Amino acid sequence: MVRKRPKLIKERVPTPERPVEERVKSFVEVNLGYDFASAVKEAERCLQCPVEYAPCIKGCPVHINIPGFIGKLVEHRDDPNKAVKEALRVIWGDNTLPAVTGRVCPQEEQCEMNCVMGKVGDPINIGKLERFVADYARKHSIEDELLAEMRPSVCGKGKVAVVGAGPAGLTCAGELAKLGYDVTIYEALHKPGGVLIYGIPEFRLPKEILDKEIAKLRELGVEIKLDHVVGKTVTLEELLEEYDAVFIGTGAGTPKLLNIPGILLDRIYSANEFLTRVNLMKAYKFPEYDEPIAVGKKTIVIGAGNTAMDAARSALRLGSEVTIAYRRGREDMTARIEEIQHAEEEGVKFEFFLNPVEFIGDENGRVKAVKFEKMKPLEERDKKGKRKIVGTGEYVTLEADTVIIAIGLEPNRIISEEATGLKVNPDGTLVVDENLMTSIPGVFAGGDAIRGEATVILAMGDGKRAAKAICDYIEKKRKANA
Amino acid sequence: MGYKITKKENLSAIDFFMEVEAPHVARSWKPGQFVVLIVDEKGERVPMSVYYAEDGKIGMFIRRHGVTTFKLWYEKQVGDELLSVAGPLGKPIEVKYYGNVVFASDAVCAQAESYATLKAMKEAGNYTIAIQSFENKDNVYPEKFLAKPVADEHYLTTDDGSVGIKGHYLDVLKELIEKDKVDIVFAGGKLGSLKKLAELTRPYGIPTIVTVRQIMVDGTGMCGSCRILYDGQIKFACRDGPMFDAHKVDWDDVIKRDARFVEQQNLARERYLQKLREKGVI
Repeated sequence: MVRKRPKLIKERVPTPERPVEERVKSFVEVNLGYDFASAVKEAERCLQCPVEYAPCIKGCPVHINIPGFIGKLVEHRDDPNKAVKEALRVIWGDNTLPAVTGRVCPQEEQCEMNCVMGKVGDPINIGKLERFVADYARKHSIEDELLAEMRPSVCGKGKVAVVGAGPAGLTCAGELAKLGYDVTIYEALHKPGGVLIYGIPEFRLPKEILDKEIAKLRELGVEIKLDHVVGKTVTLEELLEEYDAVFIGTGAGTPKLLNIPGILLDRIYSANEFLTRVNLMKAYKFPEYDEPIAVGKKTIVIGAGNTAMDAARSALRLGSEVTIAYRRGREDMTARIEEIQHAEEEGVKFEFFLNPVEFIGDENGRVKAVKFEKMKPLEERDKKGKRKIVGTGEYVTLEADTVIIAIGLEPNRIISEEATGLKVNPDGTLVVDENLMTSIPGVFAGGDAIRGEATVILAMGDGKRAAKAICDYIEKKRKANA
Repeated sequence: MGYKITKKENLSAIDFFMEVEAPHVARSWKPGQFVVLIVDEKGERVPMSVYYAEDGKIGMFIRRHGVTTFKLWYEKQVGDELLSVAGPLGKPIEVKYYGNVVFASDAVCAQAESYATLKAMKEAGNYTIAIQSFENKDNVYPEKFLAKPVADEHYLTTDDGSVGIKGHYLDVLKELIEKDKVDIVFAGGKLGSLKKLAELTRPYGIPTIVTVRQIMVDGTGMCGSCRILYDGQIKFACRDGPMFDAHKVDWDDVIKRDARFVEQQNLARERYLQKLREKGVI
């Protein structure tokens, strides 16, 4: 078939969103996603760069064949079920969690940033198309056939333990299961998902969708042991005795707190505590659910990443006025553009160049205000390309009866403290070689456990790379023993 | 899935005993460590002390106090299952020879820890002394649940003197210290008592290791809810504790942070008890 030269359509087909006044009162998902007709229309805008050249694929940490899956939507436009099935087959070749990545990836910095269409107009809405394929397939039960295809014909190639059921661990487990390995995931919490379940709110990633994505792994034969804290319930050494290899995907779950006066005051939360109470434990449904959350009338969120946006928008939905205070300027915010926009639309206020120096409490030990030093930017830039900032010696105090600290995370040290042979960098990240193997042979690691704090998709990329390295390692060991 | 309840027994007017199947925890639990349990789908994550861990089961002492513990008492019977039991969590106590070891306790979690700790200490060759305090005779546990079998000396006190010695473990401990019988003190229970305990032993330079009870969510160092000021630094009770040197803890802050959710807890408890009343359960 001779493909007609596509006409350049510079503007994106928009995805509908729930109206602001409706969404600030509930935790239901904000973006409503494409229907088939609009997805096809958007897919038609894709220039179909050849796979070996496609810049979008190069920008994707798991190298999804993006033109490939988008092309399937256009090719089978007369048969929606077939179009989605073929597109999903292409995506699943590289990524088994598209309903998640389609929602939470920073596409504007990855695939979409590189899109050729972006040079003349809006880049293709790759994230929303990926999400559409995943959602449509789930709603129309298209996944089962593909899962049957993916089930490995040969099993028992080896036993692998995966520590942590977050994005890195889930991806590693899925890839290994597809290749015929017996995989067991050890998860400390009572639900799998890691940051996807405790950190990302329902209005951005509905839990029901996440549960279904994880259920697919179980279909592929992955066993998930919940309530198991590796390093406590079972040691790394014990895992190595039972399994051929171990993958550590424990993420960066320890919150950084501000070491300033008043940090112990009531209603000062780490973003992790706040989001875990709200997302994992459904405290927004308290007292129907037992886990409580206490939020006052004025909340200040400190930080400007995705976690800060999630915390701010959650506090807003719990009935508080919310201000995000950031020590740098607007252009340095690390959150996704879409999340910042959503936060602004919903009424979150922003204050820039404010650095917290003290939390002020009332007579009951509850926070009532935050004292900030005003900062100013310099021309000089730091390693990350951000303008350096200095204090001005001027101070401002903002009232707040709730504070959420979202200034970053570091890896949890439970495993590294217990497994003494495991080499750790000063910042708590695990030392790995180019194959993602740690200082202990047969123990691999990836995601935030080695990166500090990064994105879901980078963690998934590591999980995938580690799975390949683990296969090679086990094969090699087998041959050496034969 | 699910963790089956294998035993349940009343301990006193306020506390009860429950044994649950949790082989993954029982295989590696050591004195000083705790578990986090969830009753059901709507439940909260609650840290619990452990009385013993053996044969794939863990025994716990629980106070009828909030929604979770009421649910455990009124709704969960032997044969029923709990949604989640995670652990063991926290750092174990260093079990070695110290000489004369005291475990002082005046509330449910510490009464559980008293037995387990002293048992391990006795096996390590220590001379063990238990001081168990209760408010009154209605709150005193049946003999078989006291730390007597693992204590070389056992003291039971009640605030009103209705059973045992009239007074508190602090009174008994003071006498023991004056008799020069104490090499190390372990304790747990009410935070206010622990603060006083720290002041009692400080001038004598007696090592004093206590459970710092703080509100937790995950129990693995992920949320920072249980942060305390310890020796001028922020520590997490779940990950760095729960046992700490009582002399280095900022007790006033610990006591304040412990009361953070009192309003919510009261609201939830009243709502739950109202439901039980409507159903005629109580």
